Amino acid sequence: MKALFGIAVWTTTIFVTFPASAQFLNKLKQKAEKTADQKVDKQLGINQTPNQNQNQNQNQNQNQNQNQNQNNNGGGNNTGGGLNQNQGGGGLIATPPDVKSNLTDGETAFKGGKYGDARYSIQQAMLGVELEIGNKILKSLPETISGLNKDATADQVTSTGSGWAGLTIARKYTDTKEKEFRTTIANNSVWMSAINMYFTSGGYAQQTNGQQNWKQVKVKGNRSIIEFDQSSGYKLSVPIGQSSLIVFEGVNFANENDMIAAANTVDIEGIKKMLGEQ
Amino acid sequence: MKTIFSFLFCVFLIVNASAQDFDKNMASARAAYAAGNLSDARFAMEQLLSDLDAAIGKEILKMLPAQMGSLKFDVKSDNVTGSSAGVTAGLYVQRTYGADPKRAILEIINNSPLMNSLGAILNTPMMGSMMRDENQKMVKVQGYKSLLTKHLDSDTGKTSYDIQIPMNNTLVTLKVDDTSEAEITAFANTIPLPKIAQIAQ
Repeated sequence: MKALFGIAVWTTTIFVTFPASAQFLNKLKQKAEKTADQKVDKQLGINQTPNQNQNQNQNQNQNQNQNQNQNNNGGGNNTGGGLNQNQGGGGLIATPPDVKSNLTDGETAFKGGKYGDARYSIQQAMLGVELEIGNKILKSLPETISGLNKDATADQVTSTGSGWAGLTIARKYTDTKEKEFRTTIANNSVWMSAINMYFTSGGYAQQTNGQQNWKQVKVKGNRSIIEFDQSSGYKLSVPIGQSSLIVFEGVNFANENDMIAAANTVDIEGIKKMLGEQ
Repeated sequence: MKTIFSFLFCVFLIVNASAQDFDKNMASARAAYAAGNLSDARFAMEQLLSDLDAAIGKEILKMLPAQMGSLKFDVKSDNVTGSSAGVTAGLYVQRTYGADPKRAILEIINNSPLMNSLGAILNTPMMGSMMRDENQKMVKVQGYKSLLTKHLDSDTGKTSYDIQIPMNNTLVTLKVDDTSEAEITAFANTIPLPKIAQIAQ
């Protein structure tokens, strides 16, 4: 009993004092386990060739190394005390607000004198309606324009739900090489005033000689402004109604006629109607 | 007494009228949405937001002090607008105290275009020092960081002040003629700012 106690004390001392001894003990343990396994295998009549054993050990070592590398590189585990890096998750579900239920909530809150809550609910309802309008307009746009296919992943409907500078709808057509046609439909008073400067201000004069970077054209009967910039290409702005604007941008279009022809394929009247513009 | 009664009667009429408008616009929004007429539904909802802003404005008016120092409020000049269009979309409340030559004007505006620049001055020390004006200084009113501006009228030699208090998306502005820093600060302290911030959100 005394001897056992002495051995235990020595082993613990060695383990604590010299970390290298731990490795030695570990090897000793592995060897003991291996011998025990071999003995069991022998008794059960399972034969393993030395090569098989070697391969198995190699595989085990490889796995251990891989695990060690994963731990060192982070691999989703926090070993360095820093923040974990997110590696998964389904993101957010794009759910437009329910218009009818938000209207009901708004009405209830208004009757209860909770005006702030009523405003929140009406804004949510409005957001829902604007997103529906946006998606309807996106559906009405052609699948292809000037031989360019729509890039469905770039489709965008953005709304603030505030009603006064709310809705933006974007669609991109591309040949996945160099030619691109972008359509942005906006219900935004700031943009409108910017474009109206071209029509109303004498400071923005149209010239006939020299470098002409913009001019007035008509797109399906709508007064519009076409601009050209060497680096960004053509930009055609078509104000519709009182507060909406369609901006077409063409990259690598051969000339302005091509650009206007591309814009003419869009159902501007339909969009005007869907936005409630006159 | 008569004035107070007539004021309360006017408030009742206005609130009742806005409730009727709200109900009417709510019915229009529902009908248009059910019929798939989205642009009309949207228009009716814009009107609803406008009605709500007007209702909130009236609630705020009820909270405001009846007088600031010796200046009594002028019932006729009370102004509430709920707008769903334009740059200052949303709530606008104005109350005037006193009469010429000394007036105090209190304005409460939601989504004011001044909010961003004010926020930059008040919350970014570097920005604040770059845009430093010797007639401006930062003060705290009921715990809210605010911008106090002094205006000197070179003709009359009188000094007026204004104090701008941004709270979330609401801007409270108090302008007082012929006053001192201590007086305008005392006036500003009578405004129930936390309640306004809560209801105007």
